[in-house]
Parts: sequence; C-alpha cells; structure tokens
Amino acid sequence: MAIDCKHIRNFSIIAHIDHGKSTLADRLLERTGTVEKRQLKEQMLDDMELERQRGITIKARAVRMECRHQGRLYELNLIDTPGHVDFHYEVSRSLACCEGAVLLVDAFQGVEAQTVANAYAAINQNLAIVPVINKVDLVHARVDEVLAEMEQSLAIDPSEVIRASAKTGIGIDDLLAAIIERIPPPAGDPAAALQAMIFDSHYDSYRGAITYVRLVQGTIRKGQKIRFLRTGVTHDVLELGQFVPQRRACDELVAGQVGYLVCNIKDVKQVHIGDTVTIPGDEAAPALPGYKPPQRMVYCGLYPSEGENFEELRDSLEKLAINDPSFEFQPESSEALGFGFRCGFLGLLHMEIIQQRLEQEADLDLVQTAPNVTYQIKKTDGETIEITNPQDVPDTGQIEEFRQPVVRTNFLIPVEHIGPIMQLCTDRRGTYLKTEYLSPTRAMLTFDLPLAEVIYDMHDKLKSVTRGYGTMDYELVGYFPADLVRLDILVGGKKVDALSIICDRRDADRRGRAIVKKLRGEIDRHMFEIALQAAIGTKVIARETISAMRKNVTAKCYGGDISRKKKLWAKQKEGKKRMKSIGSVDIPQKAFMAVLDQGTER
Amino acid sequence: MDHPAPRHAYVHVPFCRHRCGYCDFALVAGRDDLLDRYLAALDRELMRLAAPLVFDTLYLGGGTPSHLGAAGLGRLWGLFADRLVPAAGAEVTLEANPCDVTAELVAAAADQGVTRVSLGAQSLDATTLRVLDRDHAPDDVRRAVGLLRSAGLAVNVDLMTAAPGQSLAAVVADLDAVAALDCQHVSVYCLTWEKGTAFESQRRRGTLAPVDEGLERAMFEAAIDALTAAGFAHYEVSNFARPGHRCRHNEAYWDCRPWEAFGPSAARLLGNTRTTNHRSPTTWMNRVLAGADATGDVEAMTAEEAARERIVVGLRRRDGLGRAAFREASGFELDALAGGPIARWVAAGLATDDGSWVRLTRAGLLVSDSLWGDVLG
Repeated sequence: MAIDCKHIRNFSIIAHIDHGKSTLADRLLERTGTVEKRQLKEQMLDDMELERQRGITIKARAVRMECRHQGRLYELNLIDTPGHVDFHYEVSRSLACCEGAVLLVDAFQGVEAQTVANAYAAINQNLAIVPVINKVDLVHARVDEVLAEMEQSLAIDPSEVIRASAKTGIGIDDLLAAIIERIPPPAGDPAAALQAMIFDSHYDSYRGAITYVRLVQGTIRKGQKIRFLRTGVTHDVLELGQFVPQRRACDELVAGQVGYLVCNIKDVKQVHIGDTVTIPGDEAAPALPGYKPPQRMVYCGLYPSEGENFEELRDSLEKLAINDPSFEFQPESSEALGFGFRCGFLGLLHMEIIQQRLEQEADLDLVQTAPNVTYQIKKTDGETIEITNPQDVPDTGQIEEFRQPVVRTNFLIPVEHIGPIMQLCTDRRGTYLKTEYLSPTRAMLTFDLPLAEVIYDMHDKLKSVTRGYGTMDYELVGYFPADLVRLDILVGGKKVDALSIICDRRDADRRGRAIVKKLRGEIDRHMFEIALQAAIGTKVIARETISAMRKNVTAKCYGGDISRKKKLWAKQKEGKKRMKSIGSVDIPQKAFMAVLDQGTER
Repeated sequence: MDHPAPRHAYVHVPFCRHRCGYCDFALVAGRDDLLDRYLAALDRELMRLAAPLVFDTLYLGGGTPSHLGAAGLGRLWGLFADRLVPAAGAEVTLEANPCDVTAELVAAAADQGVTRVSLGAQSLDATTLRVLDRDHAPDDVRRAVGLLRSAGLAVNVDLMTAAPGQSLAAVVADLDAVAALDCQHVSVYCLTWEKGTAFESQRRRGTLAPVDEGLERAMFEAAIDALTAAGFAHYEVSNFARPGHRCRHNEAYWDCRPWEAFGPSAARLLGNTRTTNHRSPTTWMNRVLAGADATGDVEAMTAEEAARERIVVGLRRRDGLGRAAFREASGFELDALAGGPIARWVAAGLATDDGSWVRLTRAGLLVSDSLWGDVLG
C-alpha cells in the first residue's frame, strides 16, 4: 500500500561526537517498535565492527520507522550521519536526502565545534531544525547555560529545544511529535517520471551492489527497468525495499521515500553516489544536481611489506573503495618501497580507519608513508599542477608559486584556554580572525591555518591544552601561496623518496633536525655505520649517525641452550618483517612516520 | 623411534652452595637436604634406558657437581653402574668449583674415570670475583689446577668478561693469568644478562650497569688474540683448546649427534627431537618420583629445520661448515637452504667461502646473532 507523501518525514540526527546520537537513534527505533528492546544491540545503526570499536559512525545508513501521531500513521526515515570532521562530505550527502535535522547537544558538554559545523551545514541546505538537549538527567547537566550557548551560537530559540535523555527515554515522545510537526513532508509527485538520488551503496557478496536511494519524483516498482543517468546503463529492479533496520523487500517505493534497490549489479563501479536513477527512454527525468565530489585532504602511500602482495593489496583497496567512494587510490612506485598506491582520504581518521580495515579484513602487512596534504604548484610555464606526493615537486627553477591548503578553523574552548590556543595557532603560522563568546565561560576562536599544521596533531594538542574540554572543526578556505620547500631525507647517503616532506622554509631546519633524530631512534643498528641526513636540494641541513653494531653474539650454545637461543634469533628475524630494505638498511614501518615529528623548539 | 643410539650423555647436578648474581641455571642453593631425593629421582630417570648407554663422552654439569664431594660422587657413579658405560677412551668431564677441589675429591674423580675437569674460575682478579659473587680467591684456582694436573686430569678454565665495572686491562690481566696456568682448555664467556637474575633486576633498578658494547667487543677480541698467541686454538665462539684438547662432548652438540640427558633442565636430542626436562629441580624430582612426565619443552623438528639448526651451530665453530659433510649429515645441500645469505655475508666481508667450506670471518662472528634469522627462516 503506497503511503502518501505528506505522511513521510525524512531526517538526520546531527551532533558533535559522543553527544549521544547513536543512543538516541536506538531509542527512536525502540519507541517506534522498529526494533524490540531485547533485540536492541547497543548502537544499532553502527554495524561495522570498527564503528563499534571506536564508538563512532562512519557510513551513512537509513532506517524506516513507523509512528502513529494524532491517529495517523507516519513513515519516518532516519538517515544516519557520521559525526567526525573527516566525514563532512558524508554528512552533506545525508542531509541532501532530508527535509529536517534533529540537532543534538549534550547538556553537559554544550555546543561544540561539530555542533556548529553540522548545524550550519543543515541550515545552509534549508532543513528544518529540531533542537534537542540530551542527557538532561545527568547530575552535571547545565541545561540553562547550554540553551544560552545554542541561542548565542546558532540563534536557536530556547523554547523550541526539546529536553531529552536518550539513555532513559525522557522526551522521546516529544521528539517524535516534533519531528512530525516541525519537519515538512517531502514534495514530489508519485505519478511523475521517476527521479531518485543515489546517496550510498554497499557491496553484498550474494546480491551484488545494494544501492541506497531517495525518491524525489515518481514511483519505482519491482521488476521495472531503470537507468542510471551517469553511466547510461539500464538495469532490472530485482528487489527493492526499506531498512527496518534490516533489509525488508516491498513492491514499490514512491516519491519522498527512502530505500534500497538490488539490480544484480556485479560491478560496483557502475554505481555512482550522487547519480540519478530514472527510467529508460524519452520520458526520463533530468539529472538531479549531484554531490560535490568528496575533497581528499590527506594522501599517503600504502605499500605491501612483501612486494609480491601488490595485486592482493589492489584487490583489497578496490573492495574498500566500493563502499567508500570518498577514498581513492592510484598505483605509484617509489624507489625505496617498490610498487604501491598513493591513497587519498578525507582526513587522518579516515586514513587510519582504511588502514585498519585493510589489515583486519585483508590480513595484509603494510608499509604506510607519512600522510601529507595536497599542494598546488604554478609552474613558470604557466601550468598549474596538483601535488599529492612530495616526490612530484619539480625543481625550484620551474616553480613560480607554491600553494598550500588553508583551513578556517573554529576552536570551541573554555575562556581560560584562549591564551594557550592563540599561542599554538600563532606558532603554526595561523592568521587570527575573531573571538566570539558563547557564554561567560566558553568562546569560539577562529583562525585561518595551513591544513598541514592542523591535520596531524592539532587535535591532540588542543585536547591536552584544554584538558579535554576544547573541540575544533575546520573547512577548506582555499590554496594560498607560501614559502614552501621539499625536504629530502638521505639514509646511508641514499635519498629515500618515501621520507620526503614539504614544509615551510622557515621550519625546515627544525623539522630536518627533528626527523633525523627521530629516525636514529627508529632504525636499528646495522653491521655498518649509517648516516642520516636532511637536505634541501643538495644542501644538507641536519645530520645524525647510527653507529655500527659492535657485538651481537650469543656466548653459550650447548645442548640445553639451543632451543631457547633459536627462539631469540627467530625474534630478531620477526622484528624485521615490517621493514623495508633500502640499500642495505632495514627501515621499520614506524620510521616512515618519523617525518611527522615537528620538533619541539619553535 | 628410528634413530642411531646416542653415544653421549649429560647429567645435570643442580646443587650449589649459593647462587651467583648472574646465574639463571637450574639449581638449588643451600638445599643439600634434597640430595637423597635427587639421587632417587636420577636413579628412576636412568631406568628410562632400555639398554646400557655406551658413551664416548659424559658431561656432569650443574649447578656444581663438585659440591657433592667425594662421597656424593661415589653415590652418583653407583647409579650409573651398568647403565652409563664408558667406551674405550671415553671423555668424562666434571664441572667443579675451585674451592671444592681437594685432594680427596680429585682422587675420587680420577678413580671414577673422570678425565677432564672444568673449573668455574671466572676470573683471577679478586675484585672481579667479588662483583661476580664468587666464593673463591684467585689462589684457589691456581691450587686447584695444580691438584688436578698432578692427578693427570685435563683442565678447562671458565673465564668471564664484561663483568660490571670490569676494565679492558682487567680482562687482559685475567687472560695473561690464565695463559700462565697449566690448563688445556679455556672457555671465555661474555656476561649475559638473563631475565630473573639478581644482576638483571639490579640493572633495571639502575644500580648495576652492563659495560659498553664497544668495550665488550674489545674484551672479546682481546681474548681471541691473547689465547691464540698463547697456543690455544679458537674453535668455537667461546671456546679455546690446546691441540688435542677440544671438548669432545660439546663437539657432539655442535655436530648435532644424538645425546641422552638426565636431571632437571637437561636436554636430549634423539633423532630430530630435542626434549628438555622440567627446569625446576624440585618439580623434576617430584614428577619423576611420582612416575609422572617430567619433561618440559619438546621441540620436534622437521629434517629441514634440523638441517637449518645444523648450519647455525656449525658456523659458530671456527672451522666452519663443509658442504660435503653437511650434505652427508643432513641430507640437504647447504646452498639450497642458505646459498643466498651466505653469498650476502661473503660480499659484506662477514664470511669466506672457498667452494667447499664456509667460515665466518672475525667480523661476522662478532655480529653472528644478526645473521641467523636468515638461515632459520
């Protein structure tokens, strides 16, 4: 039975990480009877193992719920969003399928950096906002202050804020009512030509690609033919349905609804997130405005520890890319590391997650190079190139302008930490923009900072300076010229391309010294002396030496000793597994991260 | 099991007057009350032999076998009786603490057929002996050597280097003093910091410091140079012998010939399986006497694993490894198992290879632990 558009509500929950989004989603599933209490695994929507481990939501998911309100049955589609700054792109994708957003704020933590960022993303897409203050039952809850912060930073009327506790269920009925009353139903005509937006997909080894769609116009039925506009390929709809939260097949989906399609698509490259689904032939609907392609901010090289595993690594990367279009990879080769891939990520967390998944799911031993941001170089011949690998920086003579990405960074911090954060940002060559007070005790500090200075350890520094109370968020402003150089590292006189970095010329001495010092600690002694040098062009700016191993020989090896000694020798061997031999120097995986060492003196 | 009968035997005697700070051997200190139980357990373990073991070499190690005294040694040999039987010309080694070496003990030992005594001298310098927790004085070593030599026994002197605070000059002085003794064999051991020893826990607390690695190397090289100059041949990492006085028992280990072993922590190699008795002397006694299994580790090697082990223990010998002998003993071609690493070592000056023999250079020997990973696979 088709449902009328006006009884459908599509919404997301947006929040800062840890403010209780997953718990609230669980509570909604339970209260609407979508999932029975005893079946409710904690954090129902986070079904990737990694998400559970890390307690964060990475991939958007959609769940259909039913709710009776004033005698009428409503269909509520909750489209989940990730909370981490790396995944802004996925947030915007989810929001594009919604008419409203539940904005969740922790009654103790208050407004934080991603609260602001996500709220603005929703407001900019003209979504109706349903503000909720969560954890009001906590002893430490500071409800009035947090309401004031919400009003101050996001212009939210305190009287509209629903007081709730996702944990105990306080305010959940009010919230369901508000979702139905305040969020507009989707527009759209079930009789019009089919027009649906693909907002996600995942690969199922039995069914092929499962395509997540939001119907904008028209109706889609089981067995009909559909066409993907971008690829132009026509498919039969073998199955369609909704997530409740498991897949449940139905016969049709109409305009305004959210669901999934199974079309026997074995090659997921045919499914493009943001593509439009319509019907074949002349009656087809036009393409919807697609998504902005995801912006990869961070690149690193991934190499198999054992060269022969290259093809396996490629297969694993392809499988991952199927479910994660924001991740990209291209084959590259390094003199030092052999054949591998340059991989682009939304951010550092995204990178870590991908690497972990590769190791866990594919059982691959990887060598990863230090991550770097992307740069732009305007060459003297007028061409502008994008640099995702420091190796690709041309000779100085060919560079007219070297540009780096700059991000506008908001820090939400207790006012007593303004000084140290100002200092931190100034040290990192930031440009101060403004300070806004959200309340007498909390302020939002805005700086423009080079992304390279933010991405590696700024979050950790912020947390340590503010004893955990500060949060940050950033968005790309653009690429701006800077005095940048490529710093090369030589091990035993050989340049190790995978250790090159790009940094500000004024930081080169300090970074160079810090890197070779760190490397000295990471590389074991060998049977010969190893020189470690940092150089710009041919000029060496820092040097350390790893002295040769003088003596390493077991004294006693008699009848009773041999078994034990063999284990010790084998251990020495085991330690070498995660190493790359460059020249005759074994460099452990960890050493490739040494280049992230910023050095202490500024 | 199908393997040749062993012609070598080891017996572990786990008694000591006290435990030295660096020692992690299986022993009980100050528990002479356990002697009866130990002998009873050993008696029981020897029953394992289906037939008398006719040995070419027998080694009594410890612990301190000499701690048993003349009477105790008599009881021990009483147990061996017709179960451990010397072949003609057999080598029988007894480990001894210099203080235990009395005329009475020497006479008893010679009487039982001991041909060789290994003295735990460690140093001939009073300060070093004190640092090492030893209970003897330098003169006790000289006196003991004299007694043993006059009874016609061959003598090995154990020397230790890299004791905490020891200088290179002190090691050189020790080497000179040892060369002046009438001994036929010298073992020089660089101090190893073993887990669970008093030394190691003091190191962790920062109250005792190992000598610098460069100094350790200099001491080792000084030992090689001094003893070679004094007429001892360097024939294994830590071992030096006058012509005709190599320790045949240890050479059996390094030839991977089968051997039997009895007593706590003792390891035997039968076929390609090495079985180690439980390390704790009391646990071993209790289990043996209860008729229970008293073995700890069992390492059952494939033929290839055994062959790889043979390469390592073989290359620790200064003669090196001969391709033909290796093929005959192991059934494998040396180059099939280690051709690549050997070529790399030769290129790096760590080994020499004349086509039939592969031998580590001194440079290779000094860092040889770093090489074995490539061979053991």
